[in-house]
Amino acid sequence: MNSNQKPSREESIEAEITMGPVHSAAIEPYRVRLFVEDEIVKDAEITVGINHRGVERIMEGLPVEKANSLTEKICGICSNIHLWNSVMVAEKGLQIEIPERANYIRIIMAELERIHSHLLYLAHGNEVLGHETFSMRLFYIRETVMELLRMIGGNRVQYGVSVIGGVRPRCELNEKRIKKIREGIDFIEQKVSDFANRFVADPMILSRIDGICSISKKDALRLAVTGPSLRATGVDLDLRRDMECYQPFDFEVITQEGGDIKANLLMRVLEIPESIKIIRQALNNIPEGPITDRTWKMQDTDIIKSYVEAPRGRLYHSYRLEDGRVRGSIVRTPSMSNIGAMQYAVIGHHITDAQLGIVQCDPCFTCTDRAIQIIEI
Amino acid sequence: MEASTIIYSLAAVVGTIIVAFIVSIWLPGIERKFIQARIQQRIGPPISSPGLMAPLKFFFKETINPNSALPQLYNALPLVAIITIFFIFLFLIPEMYFLGALTSIIAIVGLLKIEEVIYVFMGSFSRSIMSLSMPFPDLAKGAKYPNLTRSFLEDLSSLRAFRLIAFGSFPLYIALFVPVARVGSIFLMDIVSYQQLQGPILFSAAGVLGAIVYFMGYLILLNEYPFAILKTKADVIEGPYMEYAAKYRSYVYLSRGFLMFTLAALFSVLFLGIPPNILSWGILINIIVALLFPILGAFMSAFSPIFTFKQFYPVVAALSILGVLAIITTFL
Repeated sequence: MNSNQKPSREESIEAEITMGPVHSAAIEPYRVRLFVEDEIVKDAEITVGINHRGVERIMEGLPVEKANSLTEKICGICSNIHLWNSVMVAEKGLQIEIPERANYIRIIMAELERIHSHLLYLAHGNEVLGHETFSMRLFYIRETVMELLRMIGGNRVQYGVSVIGGVRPRCELNEKRIKKIREGIDFIEQKVSDFANRFVADPMILSRIDGICSISKKDALRLAVTGPSLRATGVDLDLRRDMECYQPFDFEVITQEGGDIKANLLMRVLEIPESIKIIRQALNNIPEGPITDRTWKMQDTDIIKSYVEAPRGRLYHSYRLEDGRVRGSIVRTPSMSNIGAMQYAVIGHHITDAQLGIVQCDPCFTCTDRAIQIIEI
Repeated sequence: MEASTIIYSLAAVVGTIIVAFIVSIWLPGIERKFIQARIQQRIGPPISSPGLMAPLKFFFKETINPNSALPQLYNALPLVAIITIFFIFLFLIPEMYFLGALTSIIAIVGLLKIEEVIYVFMGSFSRSIMSLSMPFPDLAKGAKYPNLTRSFLEDLSSLRAFRLIAFGSFPLYIALFVPVARVGSIFLMDIVSYQQLQGPILFSAAGVLGAIVYFMGYLILLNEYPFAILKTKADVIEGPYMEYAAKYRSYVYLSRGFLMFTLAALFSVLFLGIPPNILSWGILINIIVALLFPILGAFMSAFSPIFTFKQFYPVVAALSILGVLAIITTFL
């Protein structure tokens, strides 16, 4: 078990290998210090903060609409969910009931984004694994969902769908768009199924991922792991099940056992069909009506908190409103919780597996870099 | 020896080397453009880019001398690699068989070993910025393990190169001795003569087994996927030659392409009995084998992840056993 292999401070460690902040296996800047003995990792330390932008500080005092649109810039992969959660903070505070059609469009966007994020994760995972063919093909599948997101939001990265009270008028789903989304998700479902069948049948891949960098259920809870990485250890916890906006939809919460790289990769593969299931239900039952409620009035609020299940796990946004401006904004991304697991998972494994062990937790360090962590020395 | 014979031999040697060099600069491009990129459903680089244009571009860039423990030797190593491969190829040409022991399998093995050892030197002499330690205890985030030796990626790849010398190249060297066992001679001249009379060794059970082992050994020596642990993107990135820039990187690229052709030519000599010679149609067989090897290698690399040592050891052990079996089969 990982904790048993961790050396005490007094125990001698042979050498330190440092990777990053810029490294070919990392799609973002972060530094990993691996304390090794004969290429086996004995301890690890991840340092973030290289891309700190201070988004929360910039949000301070901005009009709430502007501040909300700024949250979308926190992440390039799950930008929509940041905006949605930030908008939900204002909606909760101002007690705005959004039109049902707008809720459905938001759910479709969130699930498309989840598919896009999971496909990116799988592609990146395969790249680090050294399987470039799978990586390239997954990027190819991902193009479809990127095009769907562009069609709805007008952009491939910053969609700007949610606004306080609903969704932007340009994001309305007409019949033509609904047809394209249906075709797109059919294609993705078939291709992901093909990929999954080949992936689990490849003994060479399984030898690299089965039982590697595993985290037990107990350790995952102790390390406050969140999202698919937590569910990959067998913990049945998905915030979507408790969210009111997801109540009209029927879907299963996927869990795996073992918490190793295989379980993490399969978690994402199996979550994609569930997201497609939700999108299909939303497209079939999307109600008619307006998509924005413009009748709300601005007022001061206390600190309002909002959680959503982002593709990587639990995402937290909070702020209070004062004269229509944002005060005391705090954003906590899922990767913040998962850093501990990344450091822990790689212990006892080969250096080549270490980056894979970090990637298995689906890190998004640039999003995490808003936060400041203070440790007393 | 008559003057005309000397001129004829000299023309054959020079011409063969030129042809080999011309073909070798296209091999990396063919491998990446026509096979890997097609399998991966992407356009891929221009065919001339990896083997020809990239070395040219790097050659004319401003020379940057990377930090090194022994700078002159470190910078000379890519050139030493090219020269070593050049001599391996030179000894394969029939006109050079008069050199006796130098054109034996033992000499070839020795030169290939130099090629492997160069990676160890490249990695261990490199001193990139990541190898530097702070002149004071690193207290960042509580300094879990202060006063540790800071190892670095090239150093790590150097250790891996050392391991590969110890066991990784076993399959290739065992496969080299399959024709030796069949013919009963270590001299290339005897191996070629035997096959020209008795037919290629490849078309026997021992030959098939030996060829399979040789091909896998070819991939290991070239650090091709899945045996690319020496330069895997997951950790050591470019491995031993990460710090080489400008003309030194150009030499690295050229040496790789030339090694691909040379190993294919060695296969033609040992398993088909057809040495590279510009004055014979056999050169076409050499070129075809040189094209086939990267193509087959590209298929292997396109459908497999990188092996760590956990996968590497059993694969090498299995290949070595197969190689030994091939040698035993030659006596049956």
